[in-house]
Amino acid sequence: MTGVLERRPDRVGTVTTDVVPRPGSGPEPDDAEVGRRFAAGDEQALAWAYERWAGQVHGMAVRAFGPGPDAEDVTQQTFVSAWAGRESFRPDQGPLPAWLVGVCRHKIADTWVRRDRQRRAAEAVAAEARAAPETRGPQIDAAVADRVLLLGELEQLGQPQRGIIELAFFEDLTHAQIADRTGLPLGTVKSHIRRTLERLRNRLEVDGAALHA
Amino acid sequence: MQHCTPEQLALAALRELLPATDAAHLLACAQCRAEVASLQRSVDLLAVPQLAAPSTPVPPPPRVWDAIAAATGVTAAPRPEAPAAPAPLAAVPPAPVPARPRRSRLLLAAAAALVVGAGIGAGAVALGNRDDDGPAVAAAALAPLGDSGASGEARVVERADGSRVLELDLTAADLEDGYYEVWLLDEAVENLVSLGVVRGGGEVTLALPPGLDLGEYRVVDVSVEPLDGDPSHSGDSVARGVLDS
Ligand SMILES: [Zn+2]
Repeated sequence: MTGVLERRPDRVGTVTTDVVPRPGSGPEPDDAEVGRRFAAGDEQALAWAYERWAGQVHGMAVRAFGPGPDAEDVTQQTFVSAWAGRESFRPDQGPLPAWLVGVCRHKIADTWVRRDRQRRAAEAVAAEARAAPETRGPQIDAAVADRVLLLGELEQLGQPQRGIIELAFFEDLTHAQIADRTGLPLGTVKSHIRRTLERLRNRLEVDGAALHA
Repeated sequence: MQHCTPEQLALAALRELLPATDAAHLLACAQCRAEVASLQRSVDLLAVPQLAAPSTPVPPPPRVWDAIAAATGVTAAPRPEAPAAPAPLAAVPPAPVPARPRRSRLLLAAAAALVVGAGIGAGAVALGNRDDDGPAVAAAALAPLGDSGASGEARVVERADGSRVLELDLTAADLEDGYYEVWLLDEAVENLVSLGVVRGGGEVTLALPPGLDLGEYRVVDVSVEPLDGDPSHSGDSVARGVLDS
């Protein structure tokens, strides 16, 4: 266990988010190697990825839904989708655990959609049972739908834009802290934040459920 | 009138504190505020605790891997005894209650300008005394955040024994669920101290922790807290002001 107290060098110059890298130890491949093999379709890499990051993915799922079937489904779907979509994982765009966390966010948002549909369906049944006049609202809650839309838009961002906005949204860092963490100039961070927020706003204006309900 | 730069408005949408001149402008300019609001929709949708970076790892039960193996046909298997990746906070003992993700910036529930605006307005609060109190050493007018409609006045009073208290008058609707809690924050909204509970429409005198540096913790904040047993700030602030000594 020589690696226990080791930390990798600071992640200066990178904009990866979310997950503390595992210290390299022994004959085990390091995280980057697991990522490359995962992308290449090496089945052992899926098992290694699960060993290393299932706890963090499942922790997110449990935080969103509490322990139980929904959280377990999210974790399962995260790894199944990640494996099926492994060709879209680009090791040069960030580490595998950060990508898995991104997939997990999609699964959480998808689960909100599914729960919302179920709730509406149940309400419709209840209304019918009461012979209440049909009051058909939007098929799905606008915020729930718009989250899925925006997560998809984040997916389209290249680096460093994506890493920057993820640090702002998901790690609650200020632009100064993001500049510090990434080694990018303050002005660069600010202009990327501005352009990304504009891009997300445009996406909502064009396709958002809230404005088209 | 010089508008805020597009970059500053984007930072305001992320609820960062702006420099005082920008913050004051934002307070006064409907056009800039509308821009912030339009940029903020995506922030409000995505910067939610459920989507935040992983905090506490939870090992999934073995059936989760079984389902993954069944769905993918992968025959390699994770070793059950394999050490998990270190948690982001592995060196820190686990919190006794599930920690809320760090959302300090979310405490800036409305435009950051309101804080500074309230600070400017605080000069209007007389550093007066209540009966039998010591002299007020600092005061703040609390301005509503968003459309909360809550407002108030706060004074820090030094007592004869050297201890300090915060006297707060809060004008706010009674809550059906939950309660109002009073906090002191630093201006970066990264550190905070809970002072106690106050009722809407009520006056309260709260002791300050001895040695607390009011030069650092200048922001008086009133939040709505659910009765959920979670001692951390809910992020739902209704009134705020900056202590002016
Ligand atoms: Zn303006």
